[in-house]
Amino acid sequence: MDNFYIEDWFPLFMFACIGIFVFTGLPVAFVISGIGIAFGFLGMAYDVFSFIEFFNIVSRIWGGIAENMVMVAVPMFIFMGTMLEKSGVAEDLLECLNMLLRKVPGGLALSVTLMGTIMAATTGIIGASVVMMTLLALPVMLRRNYDPSLATGTIAASGTLGILIPPSIMLVLMSDLLSISVGNLFLASIIPGLLLASLYTVYIFIRCQINPSLAPPLPEGEAVHGKDLVMMMLRSFLPPVFLIVLVLGSIFAGFATPTEAAGVGAVGATFLALVKGRLKWPVLKDVCERSALTGAMLFFLFAGATVFSYVFRSLGGDDLVIDLVEQAGLGSWGILLLLMLIVFILGFFFDWVEITLIVLPIFAPVIAQLDFGHHLDVGGLGATETQVLTWFAVLVAVNLQTSFLTPPFGFALFYLKGVAPKSISIQQIYKGIIPFVLLQVIGLILVMAFPEIALWMPNTLLE
Amino acid sequence: MEALLKISDCIDAVVSRIGKWASLLAIPLMLTIIYDVIQRKFGGQGSIKLQELEWHLHTGLFMLCFGFGYIRDSHVRIELIRDNLRPRTRAIVEMIGGIICVLPFCALVLYFGFDFVARSFENHEVSASTTGLTHRWIIKSTIPIGFGLLAMAGLSVFMKCFVFVFGPTNLHKRAGYYVGTHHADLGDVAKLKD
Repeated sequence: MDNFYIEDWFPLFMFACIGIFVFTGLPVAFVISGIGIAFGFLGMAYDVFSFIEFFNIVSRIWGGIAENMVMVAVPMFIFMGTMLEKSGVAEDLLECLNMLLRKVPGGLALSVTLMGTIMAATTGIIGASVVMMTLLALPVMLRRNYDPSLATGTIAASGTLGILIPPSIMLVLMSDLLSISVGNLFLASIIPGLLLASLYTVYIFIRCQINPSLAPPLPEGEAVHGKDLVMMMLRSFLPPVFLIVLVLGSIFAGFATPTEAAGVGAVGATFLALVKGRLKWPVLKDVCERSALTGAMLFFLFAGATVFSYVFRSLGGDDLVIDLVEQAGLGSWGILLLLMLIVFILGFFFDWVEITLIVLPIFAPVIAQLDFGHHLDVGGLGATETQVLTWFAVLVAVNLQTSFLTPPFGFALFYLKGVAPKSISIQQIYKGIIPFVLLQVIGLILVMAFPEIALWMPNTLLE
Repeated sequence: MEALLKISDCIDAVVSRIGKWASLLAIPLMLTIIYDVIQRKFGGQGSIKLQELEWHLHTGLFMLCFGFGYIRDSHVRIELIRDNLRPRTRAIVEMIGGIICVLPFCALVLYFGFDFVARSFENHEVSASTTGLTHRWIIKSTIPIGFGLLAMAGLSVFMKCFVFVFGPTNLHKRAGYYVGTHHADLGDVAKLKD
């Protein structure tokens, strides 16, 4: 390198600073906005940034999260999930599934997986669903002498499906960052989500067949038969099915935009809570407050990431990243695998919000240059850029689901440990989650090797 | 030190009150959306005014809750190393972070945000669509207001941590909220260790 200018490398230093300073334990949004601003001033000292550019940050925040109809879906989906948690729908569902699956080896664990999948299709909030499922299912499983590792692993993995199976807040954010349609991305992630759920189911079933002592069956005598069973099934399946049809149905039928569907879903969840007699003014206030806090967290991180990526770009970060990737000479597959590896490793320390908001904008220019036309080719016409981006987004989404589960900083494990009985050790939780993380990696490889898993739904329904 | 805590509590009360009021905007937002959908289905015409009202409500909702979120410590942290730090060290880190990260960000957004609103006001900015909402400066002013509230929250957190580090031990309990770990989004079910 004949001309070395330190300011050319500022974007890389910014990245390095994130890696160092987030571990101070300060709120991540504060850290990344602080780094963005600090490098803005540093850039001013080197004449590569001007003070007035900070004005653009305000208009970026405005355009990115305020004056943006897609973002309106986020508070509504959060509200819907929080309200649903209060409505008692999940309790009924779990009770009924238990009844149906009591003769099957590992029945309780399978019920939890199924419940996780169904709840995932009604809400996209992870913390809430993991906590809810831990409180509901873990004590019952332990009383039936389930293996603690199998029990906690099942709960953590199934509870996090919500991030992948639509409607999911993460998919809304991703589609906004990559400029693809939310409806499309929702469609594309259905089969991959169900694929993961079935991998879990098969794994639990086989493992309990081989070693029945892991999951002893329920004792006889608690059975419900005939008309009562049908009533029970109706009572417990109808509410979630009603919500799923309401929200996903209205999006996929083209009846409503995702934003409107989110609003409709929020009303639907409130209606369910009302029917179950759980809707009181303090409950409503609490739901509003908690949704607002979650929303504030999310959007402030968005604001922080806006500052960071604006300064990053202004200092030439985009070109630097593209240059570095080109110099590495990896080719499209190499870059894709590298990105997947980066996301996977980041998942050990970060949560999906940070990874999506920081990594996606930085690598977006690289992703747009990837050439997967041949691999994704369905009709012999080559893949469009939208298809490549949709496929890529689904891959990241599947990958990010592991970010909840990988120690030392897996959100789901944290939440689980927080509400689990004291007898459960963090080692048992770690041990229990390993097979599920492996299953997710298998799922990721499958979606990578067979893009139809993701693209079949949008391709078929759009024709 | 007592006085500092009192001031901090006062700021908390104001910011939280505004945040709680703003959080209720979710209800009109929900109702607006459903009304818009039903009206379009049966009345034929969609209303630009209603759709703009939707993002206006959404903007008010989250902007006015930034400060409330910090007061309740709901902004996500990486707790890996923090968990092993002494409470005193955590409080010092929080103070440094307040000075280096929170206040400059708020100051910049306030400075330019004021400009942003003023331009909108002077130009009588209205919706780009002819049938949209007018007086765009009103909703734009939630940006400086929201970041102003966040700056107040930052100040309050700073004062609490200051008292925790330099104040007498009998005030530790009252000043120690921000050395704990919280998951405000989970509500009462998941009160983790304080």
